[in-house]
Amino acid sequence: MKQIVASLLAVLILAVSAPGVVLAQSGPLRIEITEGVVEPLPYAVPDFVGETAGAQQLAQQIARVVADDLTGSGLFREVPREAHISQITSFGSPVQFADWKAINAQALVTGAVSSEGGRIVVKFRVWDVFAGSELGQGMQFAGTPDGWRRMAHKVADQVYSRITGESGYFDSRVVFVSESGPKDQRSKRLAVMDYDGASVQYLTGGNALVLAPRFSEDGQRVLYTSYETGMPRVHVLEVGTVQSRILQGQDGVMSFAPRFAPNGQTVVYSLTQGSNTDIWAMDIASGGTRQLTSAPSIETAPSYSPDGSQIVFESDRSGTQQLYVMSASGGEARRISFGQGRYSTPVWSPRGDMIAFTKQNAGRFHIGVMRTDGSEERLLTASFLDEGPTWAPNGRVIMFARETQGAQGSSSLYTVDISGRNLKRVRTPEGASDPSWGPLQ
Amino acid sequence: MHTGHYISGGAHGILILWALFGGMFRSDPPEVQVADVSVISEAQFAAMMQPQAAPTLGEEPAALPVPDVTEPVPTPPAADTLPTSLPDPVEPDISEPDPAPEPVIATPEPELVETLPQPPAPEPVPEVDAPEVALRPIPRPAPRVAPEAVPAPEPDVEAAPEVQETVEQSETPDVTETEEQQATAPEAAATEIVTEAEEPARAPTASVRPQVRPSRPAPARQTTEAPTEQTPAPAAEATPTSPEDTAALDATASAIAGALEEALAGASAGTDSGPPLTQGETDGFRIAVQDCWVVDVGSQAANVTVTIGFDMDRSGRVVSSSLRLLSSEGGSGTAVDTAFQAARRAILRCQGDGYTLPQEKFDQWKTVEMTFNPESMRIR
Repeated sequence: MKQIVASLLAVLILAVSAPGVVLAQSGPLRIEITEGVVEPLPYAVPDFVGETAGAQQLAQQIARVVADDLTGSGLFREVPREAHISQITSFGSPVQFADWKAINAQALVTGAVSSEGGRIVVKFRVWDVFAGSELGQGMQFAGTPDGWRRMAHKVADQVYSRITGESGYFDSRVVFVSESGPKDQRSKRLAVMDYDGASVQYLTGGNALVLAPRFSEDGQRVLYTSYETGMPRVHVLEVGTVQSRILQGQDGVMSFAPRFAPNGQTVVYSLTQGSNTDIWAMDIASGGTRQLTSAPSIETAPSYSPDGSQIVFESDRSGTQQLYVMSASGGEARRISFGQGRYSTPVWSPRGDMIAFTKQNAGRFHIGVMRTDGSEERLLTASFLDEGPTWAPNGRVIMFARETQGAQGSSSLYTVDISGRNLKRVRTPEGASDPSWGPLQ
Repeated sequence: MHTGHYISGGAHGILILWALFGGMFRSDPPEVQVADVSVISEAQFAAMMQPQAAPTLGEEPAALPVPDVTEPVPTPPAADTLPTSLPDPVEPDISEPDPAPEPVIATPEPELVETLPQPPAPEPVPEVDAPEVALRPIPRPAPRVAPEAVPAPEPDVEAAPEVQETVEQSETPDVTETEEQQATAPEAAATEIVTEAEEPARAPTASVRPQVRPSRPAPARQTTEAPTEQTPAPAAEATPTSPEDTAALDATASAIAGALEEALAGASAGTDSGPPLTQGETDGFRIAVQDCWVVDVGSQAANVTVTIGFDMDRSGRVVSSSLRLLSSEGGSGTAVDTAFQAARRAILRCQGDGYTLPQEKFDQWKTVEMTFNPESMRIR
């Protein structure tokens, strides 16, 4: 009996000690985080160091352009220089990370500018403050002093890329229609500018109405529609020489809404014959044309997918303007927009995953984006008149034209992040419309 | 006196006569226009529609007679006949013509000369400098301390400089009677004085969730089998009165002792493990990190879920060198790296002086695997 009791007691003791084994956590503590914060990443850009006489002012200007680029993207927030504890007095001196941690700067950009023999050299480093290490490797650019803005944009692109993991868009240009004069007597000229509205240069005079300029993939040519002959015709312009010519085509018909294919050799455009408008493609070198649509309705505003295999366009074949996608060689098209209102001016994202468009509904205009199959439609803006979206080269930002109401209303360019945040106006010397964002240089 | 009646009657009579014989009620039928219609054959119609030869020109027409200008040409009005007020002259548009476009001067392409060498490492901060983070307050030295803590004596033991065992009366009466004395022990000492105010409350800082009744795990079966094997099989069949009972009982006692020793050893080894982290403690840790997790909802990295492993020290600080990417899901290599960097920054940035975690459960959180899943934040 005693033996049985003893055995039971042993079992009981082991059973009591077992829960400790079971309940004790085996392995690491596992936690899943599904909620974060959406806010700009704080960073610091102290003035770059002027390493030679006369380079100090240039160093400050470059640092300011870098900061404007990063902050203007909406993804970064600059810690004011007044809050800096450390001062960068030498590009080679070690960084006191504790001082930058104390002001909650997560990234730090240091740089220096030197000038010698009519050339300037800009060098920079990006630091991960909380990791106490350098992000990527230091780089330096060399060029002429009048190209200092481009150097600053290139530095900003590098910083943007290293922190976000995506390419930047600061060293890029935009071609647009510059407008002056009242609405009923408006003069329109083609112009090109930096992405931020600086360095505006005009490509055409104001003697003929011009519309819808479109950059080629390499940024060297521009397609646009001109009424120079009294009838809308597609022109192609060499940006470097400002020489333009009418694209070959049939006389006596209207051609408009042109856009380059990704290969730069083919152009798609709309062509009106009688009361019917269809989409055509033309090989620039040979002038050979091919009709891509043949519906008895208006098909226009074609835009290639980045791989050149598909075309999105607008059509009223269903009774109202809607968006359709077809093969680049033509054929059957499938409708992708089914929401209320009218959809127009679709543009395929450089990433290939989204399509931006203009939408008119309930008396208001919107710029929106949707997946290439029409799902996940999101409207980013709303106003009296928003139209003509164009993508930044990294597919992250959309620029468009917004016109204000009334006889004195004017058109301006705006940018918005594809998340719908960071809507802001691009400063241009005159009114502006019809933007087309060029490639990263 | 009836002159008026006569006049009226006469007038009405004349009017009636005029109406009857004057043609007022005569209705002549309207004239009907009649057109001649002839039926022609298709051949005749085609013949009619054929273009006819142009008529031959006859003699040239005579020149038209020049009319005689007999009427005088009107002379322009005199100056004084001009209207006194002129409309405002329309200003000619003298706006300057748009400048002719000039060739776009391409901004010179900056040259990427080279990448820079690694920067010098920061010099070590002298120890006399202010520490990066505030140290925890050091308690005042106790007035009476010993290099090693001496366990407190049992309640019935008096304090004495020397240890003396309790002397009890022997059961054998022939031993010389000695004076009964109480046991003594050195006075208890600690490495520091903890006042009542500073003494931590005995109450638990957090309520422990009721423990789940353990399932029947495999290890329990194994442990129960072990003593069974040690116990001789015949012992179970032996009767308590037999001489073998003593050996069986000894074996059982040794098994119990072994199990107890094992259990106690396990308990002493897991001193820092304590009970599992409560849900509140886990949530506090999670919230502290997620407050610093900056998600770029429009980026490709927002499609990536990463799991990061890291170690922590007893103060709740992350061992930076231990941060490592364990796994990822969705997105390309660049997007994965960006998601990892964002998660790493979140873990490091929000730790401050160390995450608030119960030290008595250090074994539970000394190694952490944290998954950052931005799916619910992704823009749709």
